[in-house]
Amino acid sequence: MAELLQVTVDFDRSHLIFPTLIGVILMLLGLAIALTHRRAIAGSGGMWSRAFAHMDKARFFGTLALTVIYFLLMVPVGNIWPNTGLGFLICSIPFVALTSILYMHERNGRSLIPAMIVAVVAPTLVWWLFTYVFALTLP
Amino acid sequence: MAVFEFISPIYVFLIFAGTLVGIIFGAIPGMTATMAVAVCLPLTYSLGLDNGLALLLGLYVGGISGGLVPAILLGIPGTPSSITTTFDGYPMARKGEGEKALRIGVVASFVGGIVSLLALFFFAPALAEFAIAFSYVEKFLIILFALTVMAALSENMLLGIFSGFLGIFISLIGVYDVTDGGNGQYRLIPPGTEYWLEYGFSLLPVLIGLFGLATILEGAEQGMPRGQSLDDIKVGEHSRFSLSVFKGQIVNLLRSSGIGTFVGILPGVGGSAASILSYTATKTASKEPDSFGKGNPAGIMASEAGNNGLTGGAMVPLLSLGIPGDATTALLIGAFTLQGVQVGPLFIGNNPMTWDSMIVAMLIANIFMFAIMYFAIRWLAMVVAVPKHILFPVILMMCVIGAYTINYGIMFDVWTLLIFGIFGWLMVKLRLEVAPFIIGFILGPSAEIYFVKSLESFGTLGIFFTKSWIAMLLWVLIAGSVIGSALLARRKSRERAAAAAARG
Repeated sequence: MAELLQVTVDFDRSHLIFPTLIGVILMLLGLAIALTHRRAIAGSGGMWSRAFAHMDKARFFGTLALTVIYFLLMVPVGNIWPNTGLGFLICSIPFVALTSILYMHERNGRSLIPAMIVAVVAPTLVWWLFTYVFALTLP
Repeated sequence: MAVFEFISPIYVFLIFAGTLVGIIFGAIPGMTATMAVAVCLPLTYSLGLDNGLALLLGLYVGGISGGLVPAILLGIPGTPSSITTTFDGYPMARKGEGEKALRIGVVASFVGGIVSLLALFFFAPALAEFAIAFSYVEKFLIILFALTVMAALSENMLLGIFSGFLGIFISLIGVYDVTDGGNGQYRLIPPGTEYWLEYGFSLLPVLIGLFGLATILEGAEQGMPRGQSLDDIKVGEHSRFSLSVFKGQIVNLLRSSGIGTFVGILPGVGGSAASILSYTATKTASKEPDSFGKGNPAGIMASEAGNNGLTGGAMVPLLSLGIPGDATTALLIGAFTLQGVQVGPLFIGNNPMTWDSMIVAMLIANIFMFAIMYFAIRWLAMVVAVPKHILFPVILMMCVIGAYTINYGIMFDVWTLLIFGIFGWLMVKLRLEVAPFIIGFILGPSAEIYFVKSLESFGTLGIFFTKSWIAMLLWVLIAGSVIGSALLARRKSRERAAAAAARG
């Protein structure tokens, strides 16, 4: 019995022991899920098409698109004025403004004006706080 | 008295400022106590050890406590440790009892904080000495014990455990770090991504992605449902709070504070495990477990007393072994290093003054936390009345800042935020569970080190059973936790079947 439990660890390959163990457990659990949830998995196509049909596509994909553009632009814009955090500031204001408009239900002056003020003030305040008070570099 | 030499107006002011800023960070979803500490860490350079720690401990106590505000009012945990506060707090807020739920949370937080502080003060040296005896074997078993909690936590046990192991798996991506005794080799990194994934995914962007961005994506998918207006929150007479709500809950409060403190003390185990364990214990002990998750005040008490109990407990392994209980205490180690102080078994004995000043700072921070949150709760609650179209874009921006600044300017952390935001949204769709995933993700790396080191040292799997009486006791606890969860799951599915049969 004691011999069965003996393990010799080769230091050069020790980085693979735990990932392999967890990988095997994951596969076994996955198999168990596949067996016990057969019906749910078979019906997943319907679930996705229902979820897609009920989705607010403009707001969902709009959020993703704006976020990706925001992340992509931040660094190149920041590189124009290095170490000033201006890339963050210049990209954040339109990003906050546009997502606000995207999420808004009634797009009239009463909703737009406070949202636009926040879109200018919040990034500026945060930029000032991080750049000058905390002295942390933003993109 | 010599003991109070370190108390100065600036010391008290820094605790107050730290607590207030911590509460605000904790109250804004996507920003956490960890981030508050991370952001203010560079400020402590110029403050000196006692004053610097005063600020950081205020941030820590405030940040953990502030998390209950969005947990109750928005159903978004402001910090990972307030996940369980959402279970009963959010239903109460939706019933118009937001303010009452918040005050319950504040009082429970205060009790948890004070109980854990007392435990820290009286038992820390003895407990530290006990913990010093732990080898890798016991440490691994403690983590295994914490992982079994994943099962008790899950809606569906199999999917929950799968999510937990998935969390562990993803946490192992990157180098097997030499500083932890690894061999410095890469694993699980897709070819071509070594540059970004050398150190795997950072914890904080993953947390912000899963809890911040995923929540916003879900809101966007549902077309940004209109939030509640201030009239809906029913402040004042509609939602009157009185201490009588705590009648019959003293045991719950003390048990939860105790569990939180104990979990905090266990080296390497921290964060959300405290509130989850105390919530589960309270639910199991309750005469009406079915009312949990639907707005039972006892659930909020358990969760908040548990997570604030953690604050004192987590300082014990930190100060005695230099082992952080969670991401926030890991940053506190950074603060000590900045000041040139080595935390370890000799810390308390060699630095009695700093030890006293930390205890006093945490006591004052808890008092400030209570005063600020109890009396300014209406202003804190106003975060709910801010329309989602204003709040969410700003939160998105703050999520980006948190992710970007945590490692001082790594753009990949921002992309991590997006990856895990989408992943978190997908998880809900696939019925995978976020909480066990996160526990697995946080505990995975330490579990690996303790497991592999145990095998390296002893060369047999049997050592996990035979190492010491502590190891055997831990196995009893692990078995108890697994059997308990299985019985609970069986009861749940039987009840579900009975309910389905009753519906015909």
